Amino acid sequence: MIGGIEIFLAIILLSVLFSLTSSRMMSLIKLMGLQGALVSLIPVLLEIESRMHPGGIILFVVMLAIKALCIPGLLYFALTRIVIGREVEPLVGYHSSVAVGLGLILVAAYIAHHLNISVEGVHTLVLTTAITTLGGGLFLMMSRSKALSQVIGYLMMDNGIYLMGTALTRQTRSIYLVEFGVLLDLLVAVMVMGIILNNISRAFDDVDTLDLEQLKD
Amino acid sequence: MLEYIFLLPVCVGLVTLILPPILGRIALVSTGVLHLLLSLRLWLDGGQAYFPEFFGKAHPGMLVLLLSSFVFAWTAPYAVSYMRQRPTKYEAVFSGCMLLFLGTMSMAALAEHPVVFWIAIEATTLASAPLIFIHRSKQALEATWKYVLICSVGIALALLGLFFITFSMEGAGPDIPLSFSSLNKVAPLLNPLWLKTGFIFVLIGFGTKMGLAPMHTWLPDAHSEAPSPASALLSGALLNCAFLGIYQVHTLMVLAGLGAFSSNLLIGFGLFSLLVAGVFILNQPDYKRMLAYSSIENMGIIAIGTGIGGLGLFGAMLHLIHHSLLKSSLFLSAGTIMRTYGSKLISQCANMPRVLPKTFCCYFAACLGIAGLPPFGLFISEVLILFAAFQRGLPVVGLLFVILLILVIAGFAQGALRMSLGQESDTQAALRPREKVLQFLPPLALLLSSLVLCLWIPEPLRQVINDSIVLLGGVIHG
Repeated sequence: MIGGIEIFLAIILLSVLFSLTSSRMMSLIKLMGLQGALVSLIPVLLEIESRMHPGGIILFVVMLAIKALCIPGLLYFALTRIVIGREVEPLVGYHSSVAVGLGLILVAAYIAHHLNISVEGVHTLVLTTAITTLGGGLFLMMSRSKALSQVIGYLMMDNGIYLMGTALTRQTRSIYLVEFGVLLDLLVAVMVMGIILNNISRAFDDVDTLDLEQLKD
Repeated sequence: MLEYIFLLPVCVGLVTLILPPILGRIALVSTGVLHLLLSLRLWLDGGQAYFPEFFGKAHPGMLVLLLSSFVFAWTAPYAVSYMRQRPTKYEAVFSGCMLLFLGTMSMAALAEHPVVFWIAIEATTLASAPLIFIHRSKQALEATWKYVLICSVGIALALLGLFFITFSMEGAGPDIPLSFSSLNKVAPLLNPLWLKTGFIFVLIGFGTKMGLAPMHTWLPDAHSEAPSPASALLSGALLNCAFLGIYQVHTLMVLAGLGAFSSNLLIGFGLFSLLVAGVFILNQPDYKRMLAYSSIENMGIIAIGTGIGGLGLFGAMLHLIHHSLLKSSLFLSAGTIMRTYGSKLISQCANMPRVLPKTFCCYFAACLGIAGLPPFGLFISEVLILFAAFQRGLPVVGLLFVILLILVIAGFAQGALRMSLGQESDTQAALRPREKVLQFLPPLALLLSSLVLCLWIPEPLRQVINDSIVLLGGVIHG
């Protein structure tokens, strides 16, 4: 299983890098679906004993359904339902975004090695991936101008937090703590619903956050 | 069973969402009064939680609960008059979300379990976002979007902080329930590295919601674009709830022997908030934004007081109380001013003493109070914090504190004077709508209650303040 989990983590890292370069909203959404599925599979691969109760398995299936189906589905619906440009429209170019992503991996590896957790190698890798995903999500939020891509950045950050929680709570007895991260997915859903509803009722042609710049000092 | 305190407004709020508006108004006011009575009963009689592992009567929480309840009880009648004068299609949503907002804030105040607290804070964001967007203007959309997005990032980071704190329990032994009080008991056993990391994330996360600079960017927009009753609640009640989370984790840090670390961070963020607020208050053309920046300033002062400790903690608690009362009073008055002049610009408000004599008195007095001038409570608390700074050997902090406060006073004096001295012909003034009883009574009541609390602090209140700061080594008498 160890080989399996490393491959999964590598694909998650690649999905982060890929999302920083993708110029199409649709490919970004598909990537998020893939990433959500992989992230929610990690706890099973880590074979956390407490998750192997019937209750734990149900929770795992629910997480998988939400992260891999519901949220990407909602994003897809938003993209097709409302009139929104298919381009991502970055504030920071794609090449420099990838450079930032690579830098993030280095920083994450450094941090993960220096947080001396008394566990074996796999955990450090999970932590590295988690920090990269978190940072990548934050960067995506800041460097893309569309409301929908900001929500996608937030979703990626949320995936990072879920991974981080998974890595940390392996030994602790507080069983169902990471699962509260699902409430962040609820926030994502609310934001996407907000985008959909406002476009329908107010007929904006686009929700570009660059337009949202009237309030400032 | 003390859970009814937040279940009541949540249930009534959910029903109100589908009730006709007129019934919603009745529900709003009556639930506000009932909630205040229930909170008072909880204060005097006590009560046991049905789920003691999730909810409890922690002392700072009780203070925040009573304050939220008191501010809401006065905001509700004002909201009714506001809705009567500015009808909207979505009045049911407004009344319902106001009640849901009250319910989620009460839940945060009573939460004993960190994750329950976190859920309640997330719920406050969801309940209050529709309030900001109620008039559906383009500016309101922008303010709401910023509010939801920035606060959500904050909330996510706070959750990460809670994960770290949970992880720090690793070495403390098995089967310790995850609650603030039981964590406090085993504080010295917690892993200091993870606890520190956790505190940083919690401070940044809940600090976003509390409006500490540099995570404050949503606050001026949301507080100025929201309808005035909602602004009063956002400023007078919600910020306290967010502070409560930081305060609980700070308590944990102090008990774990890491008090110096968390205090320095609190003081640093506090001073930076003061600086940012001071700079933006000066020459601020918009009076609602001026009030919003003043909230950032006051939250900074509370953080500084908490960081300094000792007498400063007492100052911070007093500051919390008086800021809530005065700021909600100010926002309600600002709503009336905006209604009368149809503008949020200071330069558009002219001849206020003649057009709105009663509102003007409230507004001007509360402006003096919020700027920290005597005889109002914020003066006392600021002096206490200043004393504490010198007493504890932090003269640089004390000096910076005074300099930045002068900046804020200058800004407020400028704004308040320009609003009161602007000229307008009497004929034009005569055309302006008159103020109504429901418009000036709530701000006046909030202002007067703050004044009364300067002169006389009731014994139960003094007891609760004492109990909430004694764990951190705070004292009431220097």
